[in-house]
Amino acid sequence: MKYAGLVLANLGRNKLRSLFTAGAIALAVLLVCLLMTMPAGLDRLISDLGSNTRISVHNKAGLVYSMPQSFTRKVRQLDGVLAAVSMTWFGGAYEEEGRVTFPNFAVEAEHVGSVYPDYVFTPGAVDEFVRHRDGAIVGRKIMRQYGWKVGDRITLRSTVWPANLDVRIVGEIADDNAPMLWINRTYLDETLKAAGRGGLGIAGIIWVRVDRPERVGALMSEIDEMSRNSESPTASETEKSFISNFFGSLKGFVTIILIVTALVSLCIVFIAANTASMAVRERSGEIAVMKAMGFGRRAIFGTLLAEATLLSTFAGALGVAGAIALTRALKTVATLGPTLGPLGNFTVTNDVVTAGLALSLFVGLLSGLVPALGAARKPVVDALREVF
Amino acid sequence: MAPLRGVRYPRCMPLADPLPGPPPSAPEEATLIDIRHVSRHYRRGVDEVHALDDVSLRIAPGRFVAFMGPSGSGKSTLMNLVSGLDRPSEGEVVVAGQSLGDLDEDELAAWRARHVGLIFQFFNLIPVLDARDNVALPLLLTDLGKAERHRRAETALRVVGLDHRLDHRPNTLSGGEQQRVAIARAIVTDPDLIVADEPTGDLDAKNAEATLGLLRELTDAFGKTIVMVTHDPRALRFVDEVFHLDKGLLLEGSDAERASEAIRLAAGGHASAGARP
Repeated sequence: MKYAGLVLANLGRNKLRSLFTAGAIALAVLLVCLLMTMPAGLDRLISDLGSNTRISVHNKAGLVYSMPQSFTRKVRQLDGVLAAVSMTWFGGAYEEEGRVTFPNFAVEAEHVGSVYPDYVFTPGAVDEFVRHRDGAIVGRKIMRQYGWKVGDRITLRSTVWPANLDVRIVGEIADDNAPMLWINRTYLDETLKAAGRGGLGIAGIIWVRVDRPERVGALMSEIDEMSRNSESPTASETEKSFISNFFGSLKGFVTIILIVTALVSLCIVFIAANTASMAVRERSGEIAVMKAMGFGRRAIFGTLLAEATLLSTFAGALGVAGAIALTRALKTVATLGPTLGPLGNFTVTNDVVTAGLALSLFVGLLSGLVPALGAARKPVVDALREVF
Repeated sequence: MAPLRGVRYPRCMPLADPLPGPPPSAPEEATLIDIRHVSRHYRRGVDEVHALDDVSLRIAPGRFVAFMGPSGSGKSTLMNLVSGLDRPSEGEVVVAGQSLGDLDEDELAAWRARHVGLIFQFFNLIPVLDARDNVALPLLLTDLGKAERHRRAETALRVVGLDHRLDHRPNTLSGGEQQRVAIARAIVTDPDLIVADEPTGDLDAKNAEATLGLLRELTDAFGKTIVMVTHDPRALRFVDEVFHLDKGLLLEGSDAERASEAIRLAAGGHASAGARP
């Protein structure tokens, strides 16, 4: 502690340089802390989106391959299954020919309400959907995007099927996390039959609602076992896992960002080390005199290392505080509008704070180590000869 | 003096406030510095430089002595050996009973902190510290608290007549004042030996005289032993004894007298008084 005054005085020797070095370290730590919130944030986002009693069943070969529609009925018979609904990609383009601007599926109207009891529909929407074979239910986000309202008629030109369907919007999913459009499967089936294509005998994905979360694992195995020797073996996964797979590429991207951030941190180490080396070089005369006065290797090494570590840790603390402030600001922003909601999932946890401070301490130690060792180990007479 | 190995610094340095008066006169045969057949060789590229060659001398406590000689004569090398900054290639350096060859690097540093005060040509004060903190710097190596360190630094600054400049940083002090702060820093630990390397080399005539006078006073009033390396012929009027060196050899007898005479002649009136008896 008695060296604290000397260490602080030396840090204040070149204020601008100390400020810039601290700024670079603070910014790097802030960046690392923010990025470290991303994996946990994504997990929270997925948890918010997915139910733990809903199963997705799709062709084991991938989502672009189908299953027989009859398999949906078999699944419904299983013990523990409350409801199941098949969804088949319609691929309808609205206005812009040949381009699908939102996901749209042909679904079994009479089953969607049972599979998605957690979805908030506009009053009477599901009943109307069952009643009208040309009905459609649309997510709120899409309704807003195109300025639609319940009762509007729209035409979707399928990019998959030889069918252009004129549908009437009968209800809205009042949830921004469901940006999709459902049409009645019967409508598409009859249209295809009328076109001489033999009807819609396939299902793209089957969504299954299970009575209890603890039965999910067993039912997934049972469903996949049931289809194992068929032409379309299936792969079942929970809704969370299904959504998580969709985010898989994003998680890979996060990994890349984390690697880049680690490299940036390493660059900051080099910058800080260069600054520390310059500071030691500039003061080589003073250090030589201090050694001549009797300051031993440990005292010289300790004070120089303390300078680099103190600066870096202080800057790191600023960076961590900045990250906390920024995520709190994002949380506030997230309450301003439903589309900004996901921003509220990113939180600087205690682990992130610890990692940020540890990183700054590590940067300080590493950057100060080499110049401090060099200054401490140089024989006093050589140090004096170099400067006088 | 007992070897320093494993011994911690004392809780308090013996420097008292006010500084003690002249010590009882030392016996005639007492020796503070004993240089025994010391040589110092080192390599510079492919050449081997013989900076000092078989030098032996003794310095009694309470004496103000000067090492003089032309550049490359070995006087700075000898000063480095006396102050424990360097080690001889051959021979032995004993200061206050301690053979410096027995101490390792860290022990030598601790020995210097306790027994040697250093004064440099270019003052070498820490620019970010004020005069008081600069003087208190060597006391960081003791167990003294901050208040006591400051009190002792103020005492040392009072001795050199700068107690009114305590809070001034070096860049606000004149060259002469900076050198006086450096002298205060050298005496603040109350060392046995003060070593000065060209202390007047960066000062004008007036400040050079004042600095030499101050060093003389430290010997006369406080019994300090001072070893000074200098080219300055004015120094002859202030020192008790001059050791002349040339090409790594200590000049003795008529050679030393001729060297002293040459300095007196070169200096004209400056050194008319010659070295003190």
